[in-house]
Amino acid sequence: MAVPLNTGYATSKLEEPPSRHHPSAPIATQATRSFHRNGHCRRELLNRLTMKRFVYINDDDLSDDLYCDNRISNRKYTLLNFLPKNLWEQFSRFMNQYFLLIACLQLWPLITPVNPASTWGPLIFIFAVSATKEAWDDYNRYLSDKKANEKEVWVVRQGVKKHVKGFNTVNKAIVVYVLVFDRVAVEWEVSMAVQAQDVRVGNIVWLRENDEVPCDLVLIGTSEPQGICYVEGVIECPNPDRDIRRFDANLRLFPPFLDNDVCPLTIKNTILQSCYLRNTEWACGVAVYTGNVYGWLQLLLSIVYSLLLFLGNETKLGMSRGVPEPKLTAVDAMIDKLTGAIFVFQIVVVIVLGIAGNVWKDTEARKQWYVQYPKESPWYELLVIPLRFELLCSIMIPISIKEAFNKLKAYREFMVDDKHLDFVSLDLVKSLYAKFIDWDNEMVDLETGTPSHATNTAISEDLGQVEYILTDKTGTLTENKMIFKRCCISGTFYGNESGDALKDVELLNAVTSGSPDVIRFLTVMAICNTVIPMQSKSGAISYKAQSQDEEALVRAAARLHIVFVRRNANILDIKFNGSAIEYEVLDTLEFTSDRKRMSVVVRDCRSGNIILLSKGADETVLPHASAGQQTRTFSEAVDQYAQLGLRTLCLAWRELEEDEYREWSSMFKEANSTLVDREWRVAEVCQRLEHDLDILGVAAIEDRLQDGVPETIETLRKAGINFWMLTGDKQNTAIQIALSCNFVSPEPKGQLLLINGKTEDEVCRSLERVLLTMRITKSEPKDVAFVVDGWALEIALKHYRKAFTELAILSRTAICCRATPSQKAQLVELLKSCDYRTLAIGDGGNDVRMIQQADIGVGISGREGLQASRAADYSIGSKSEIVVGLDGNLVVVIGDGEMLMAGGDGDFVLSQGDFSKIIFAGPNYGSSVQFNSTSSFSFISGVSGTSLFNSVSLMAYNVFYTSIPVLVSVLDKDLSEATVIQHPQILFYCQAGRLLNPSTFAGWFGRSLFHAVCNGGGHGLVTVAVVDEATVMVDDQREAALFLLIGKIITGNAFQAIVVFVITIHAYAFEKSEMEEVSMVALSGCIWLQASVVAIETNSFTILQHLAIWGNLIAFYAINWIVSALPSSGMYTIMFRLCRQPSYWITMILIVAAGMGPVLALKYFRYTYRSSKINILQQAERMGGPILSLGNIEPQPRSLEKDVSTLSISQPKSRNAVYEPLLSDSPNATRRSAGSATQFDFFQSPSRLSSSYSRNCKDN
Amino acid sequence: MSVRGSGVDEVVGCLPLKLVVGYRSVDSGGYLGSIMLVMDSRFTQQELPACKPILTPRWVISAFMLVSIVFIPIGLASLFASRDVVEIIDRYETDCIPQALRNDKVKYIQGPEDKTCNRTLRVPKRMKQPIYVYYQLDNFYQNHRRYVKSRSDKQLKDPKSENDVSACKPEDATPPGSNPIVPCGLIAWSMFNDTYSFSRNSEQLPLNKKGISWKSDRQHKFGKEVFPKNFQNGTLIGGAHLNSSIPLSEQEDLIVWMRTAALPTFRKLYGKIEVDLQANESIEVQLKNYYNTYSFNGKKKLVLSTTSWLGGKNDFIGIAYLSVGGLCFVLAMAFTIIYLVKPRRLGDPSYLSWNRNP
Repeated sequence: MAVPLNTGYATSKLEEPPSRHHPSAPIATQATRSFHRNGHCRRELLNRLTMKRFVYINDDDLSDDLYCDNRISNRKYTLLNFLPKNLWEQFSRFMNQYFLLIACLQLWPLITPVNPASTWGPLIFIFAVSATKEAWDDYNRYLSDKKANEKEVWVVRQGVKKHVKGFNTVNKAIVVYVLVFDRVAVEWEVSMAVQAQDVRVGNIVWLRENDEVPCDLVLIGTSEPQGICYVEGVIECPNPDRDIRRFDANLRLFPPFLDNDVCPLTIKNTILQSCYLRNTEWACGVAVYTGNVYGWLQLLLSIVYSLLLFLGNETKLGMSRGVPEPKLTAVDAMIDKLTGAIFVFQIVVVIVLGIAGNVWKDTEARKQWYVQYPKESPWYELLVIPLRFELLCSIMIPISIKEAFNKLKAYREFMVDDKHLDFVSLDLVKSLYAKFIDWDNEMVDLETGTPSHATNTAISEDLGQVEYILTDKTGTLTENKMIFKRCCISGTFYGNESGDALKDVELLNAVTSGSPDVIRFLTVMAICNTVIPMQSKSGAISYKAQSQDEEALVRAAARLHIVFVRRNANILDIKFNGSAIEYEVLDTLEFTSDRKRMSVVVRDCRSGNIILLSKGADETVLPHASAGQQTRTFSEAVDQYAQLGLRTLCLAWRELEEDEYREWSSMFKEANSTLVDREWRVAEVCQRLEHDLDILGVAAIEDRLQDGVPETIETLRKAGINFWMLTGDKQNTAIQIALSCNFVSPEPKGQLLLINGKTEDEVCRSLERVLLTMRITKSEPKDVAFVVDGWALEIALKHYRKAFTELAILSRTAICCRATPSQKAQLVELLKSCDYRTLAIGDGGNDVRMIQQADIGVGISGREGLQASRAADYSIGSKSEIVVGLDGNLVVVIGDGEMLMAGGDGDFVLSQGDFSKIIFAGPNYGSSVQFNSTSSFSFISGVSGTSLFNSVSLMAYNVFYTSIPVLVSVLDKDLSEATVIQHPQILFYCQAGRLLNPSTFAGWFGRSLFHAVCNGGGHGLVTVAVVDEATVMVDDQREAALFLLIGKIITGNAFQAIVVFVITIHAYAFEKSEMEEVSMVALSGCIWLQASVVAIETNSFTILQHLAIWGNLIAFYAINWIVSALPSSGMYTIMFRLCRQPSYWITMILIVAAGMGPVLALKYFRYTYRSSKINILQQAERMGGPILSLGNIEPQPRSLEKDVSTLSISQPKSRNAVYEPLLSDSPNATRRSAGSATQFDFFQSPSRLSSSYSRNCKDN
Repeated sequence: MSVRGSGVDEVVGCLPLKLVVGYRSVDSGGYLGSIMLVMDSRFTQQELPACKPILTPRWVISAFMLVSIVFIPIGLASLFASRDVVEIIDRYETDCIPQALRNDKVKYIQGPEDKTCNRTLRVPKRMKQPIYVYYQLDNFYQNHRRYVKSRSDKQLKDPKSENDVSACKPEDATPPGSNPIVPCGLIAWSMFNDTYSFSRNSEQLPLNKKGISWKSDRQHKFGKEVFPKNFQNGTLIGGAHLNSSIPLSEQEDLIVWMRTAALPTFRKLYGKIEVDLQANESIEVQLKNYYNTYSFNGKKKLVLSTTSWLGGKNDFIGIAYLSVGGLCFVLAMAFTIIYLVKPRRLGDPSYLSWNRNP
């Protein structure tokens, strides 16, 4: 008999002689074995064809190359393919292709306006930088792989041969190796250390506590007291797949076992790669799936068996990890689309200017004898001028894009040309944001000291754009600390008065008096589980459990004097009132998410009775109650508890007849060893036993909400972020949790709509009804949420996707209960397909897929291990403290104590609303001025395509002078985080970035262009005024920011470019009109204007801003003086000359005043009389007053020494005192003010909520 | 007035940047070290002390007032400086062609006729020396792409690089391909070649043609050992000829011409008259009208001008200053009036829409 026990502590036990031929399972006879051994290929072929893998345990002859070795490789490149692959990747972006084209065109001296080096240098530089970065990353991956690969692993190579009694060695080739593992010392000698990469399939791997599991193993022994033996045999298992929850395999022992039975193995017998062995002194297992790369032979084989092959990782984790799609930010995706549009526009410009140039050439230039246009021109002559303009305009693409999306966003990667460094600076910026997250003291997990970590540095800016947050419940919203709170035993409610059944005197009395119902109930609590008690030397018992629920029950039973003392193989020792009771576990009917119940069959060792003990969800237990039993009380109890937000379990039992059990037992064993549909068959067999149950009662377990959850959710909902809760819990429990954490509002304001049904029709009808209600209530200021369960969700997603999508869009809140991991991921997918930015938060392995799927994945490294946080873009500790990371780029995750806003920078969000800032700060600003100047210049240079600026300054300008202000504008804060928390709504208004979809963009772009072109020239100012005015008018719509943005780009910059240009050519007319001088005057003008614009658009000056703005100006002069001192340079002495001229300085002052005056006036006017939301808050914040006095910039509110819990409570309180009037219209104001203390009111005063909700649910 | 007066003052002036140095032991890492430490942790926590100015009415109005107060005097000063400059402009390209030949100016300019032309200039006001003599060309695109690139800086500087003429096509070598032209390229080839000589009361006015080019050009851009070679020997004669026995560094007319102009209308220095000219004196100019601007209708002007601290006569800066100053004044006034008529409280949260309609 084989008894695979709990995962993680699995003990396989082979005691009875297995039967030789099992009717249902394929067998590995000697014949097949020799066939298997006969050549790798054939064996591999067999494996492939049968979709099965035969793993010969500890077979030293096993070829090394049959299966892949255990080498892990996460590398993207090899030495050979690095260059081509990297270049290919870089050039797969449209932008880069474009810039390469431009750079190639520049090699043609006839058309290039500037020295090709000015493009090629930076181009190569940029590519080199990103290639270096890639190479560095890859090198680090290589190092970490190497470290993992070379890790020492103990492998058993020659076991101690020990004959099991009664069996003889028949043949040398088929030796029975028996390793007795209860003597660790013995094993030490026979094991040898190898590197992790050398572990082969079939090896026996020896793990000690806290070792990382090097590959997928089938456990064959652990340090658990009953030291288990194992026998050489073959493990027959499926070919590798990615399903981490299934492993249907059989262990077959080789002859000479007379009765070679098949020992079923399930996922519970395995431990997967990259897990850690915990709480177990040692364990050993057989490697079944190894490595994650193929060797060359495997590669060949793979090609041969390409139809059946599995490429890449063979371990389950490796395979399920897959290659995560690179996550593009919203803007990234947009850019590529829009680049095309802008490209077209550019072509138009080029054609127009090209025609003008050609016409001018033919009419005028022929007369300009000094130009000596040849009479005969080559065929391409017509193209020359347009191409020149194309090159001049090439500045434009980056400009338009940068301006459109503000620099930071546009330049995610490899955008080159003269904007080269901008890209670098963008990457820097992103890394900086990521670093801020890592650094933030307020996001450190106070309990474990784990700081938050941004794994993916590229998507920081998206944090501000999140529209949907999909969150797991257990462990994320709640603490995942289960506490047994109440119970109902045969109609008697315990714990209702005190709120804690353990303190209920009646229950205690019932226990002492030995009420049989209560004792039975407690017995089920104590032994119907897979918990393992650990007795320390002092005698204290601790429990190790897979499920927190079980642990809670066992603990509670222990508190009530039924103590589960020891699990000795199949014998369970229970201590009750001083007397010891023994139970023998005969079978365990495991919990599955489909069955939703688990049972054990035990034999009472005193009486010899066989008893079935069950516990499970009410809907799966109550229907199986014995015919006569009244279950009403129990279902009422379940309802009542669920409405309190408690998790409920029904406990039941039944005494079995000896015969009945025996009959069933054989069926169960058979079902357990099937390879096909095992789960289903086992469930079916279990069903046959679990009937006519005697319901004992209902236990209710509380899963506490994390502190600060309601506040966080409220803040985020005010910020316009939609919340979906995806949980595996019961519907009622989920609803209650949702209610208590502000997910949904109670009745008069909120409404819950239910989607349910078991069949397609029902679901469809229910869906349509909900949709109708949604549409109707859309206009009302009502909080409508829908609730859907896993079953209905499955149907809805499969058959009514369209309707469901509409529902998803309409609804701001949704609760999905009983959802599976893949459904969670599907929901993320669904929202993403509607172009919403999604953020998924979770803590457990079942959230991994959702986290990977979401635009932004946040993993909480909490009780459920590190799986989620490894897969996530941002990982945070479960006890992280603070609220708004930085200045509020928030996306919140809920941690213990406070809310935690995962990172980012509120400023960043706000900047997106306040686009102009970065636009102006950025090189985009500079280049557009340049572009405009250049195109204006083209008209006075005979449309011949001369560049106003020389190559050096062009390059320097773009590369250097304009990048630093961008970097620093990143550090600019629009609002302090305190203010943002006070007014989370602001974020909603600042998410205008999401509106940048192509149609509106194109629309506004065209319109603004039209304005610019029509009004062009001297009328730029008027346009600025018009646009700004229009901006003001649509302020409340989110288009505003967009409008403002485009308007500013085109008109604002055009205006300033024109100022620079006009002033320069007039002030430097006639005898001063020397090319180099004029060019430097114009350039200095740009620099001065840029500095002023940055200064005026900066909201908060720290030393960094000052350094950047003024330092940049100084750097400009320093650099130009140096260049001017070089006789070989084109601008030799120019700068000295200029700086000696009073007219130069006078011109600069004029440019600044004329360029900035109107901007300042408009800004002031808008700021004061047409304030945007941000402006108002800024003013409020900086005028001192209640929000934040200037003295408050000191970080005392963040002080870490303070007690966390008091901090969390006192902060909202103290703020509220001041803010009550502002928030008085908010229904949640009072709740908010009371801090975290009140959140449990919901548990204690359920009446008002429950009535409304039950009504609601019935209504629907 | 609903703005809290005290608040405005406090906010307008930026708080001085506070470098909080205290609390940390100075010995560990020294003073600078502790600054860095504090700065560093403040940086990482984004808590650098910051000054957050906002645009209060008082601040903006004062700024505009200040600008107008500063700009108007500067504007006036510039305007006066410009007005003080005495300038004589004589446009001669048409007048210097005999009446009879004016219907085909190009033919005349390319013909063998004597190009001498006598002009008389009246001095309107007393002109103090030095008086700069410029020629001004209109509609001449020295900034044309084809033109502006047609030169070889290396060749101009270094006799060894005389073959470096690749950028100079079509004026690179003569006859095609064999002998490099020094100085090569369209710019040098098309050098301006009208000449002027001045006399006052039949007495020659000395014209100083030394030092009209940039000193840096003479010393570093045009070589002392580089002599004109094969210049204007081709089939097409462009502009001026150069004396092949004088090194380029002393060919100042060439140096001036080679500093290309950014605008199609430009003046280039021809020489300096280093005596004062009295008002109402008349100056006779004997000019040789060789240069062909007729094919593209370019104007030619002779300009005599004094100079001021701002350079030559140019009213633009003065007028621009006055108008910007005036505009700022108007804006300051307008804002003041708006402010007085319709004050608006800054930062009043009741303006927030979510506070208005819940």
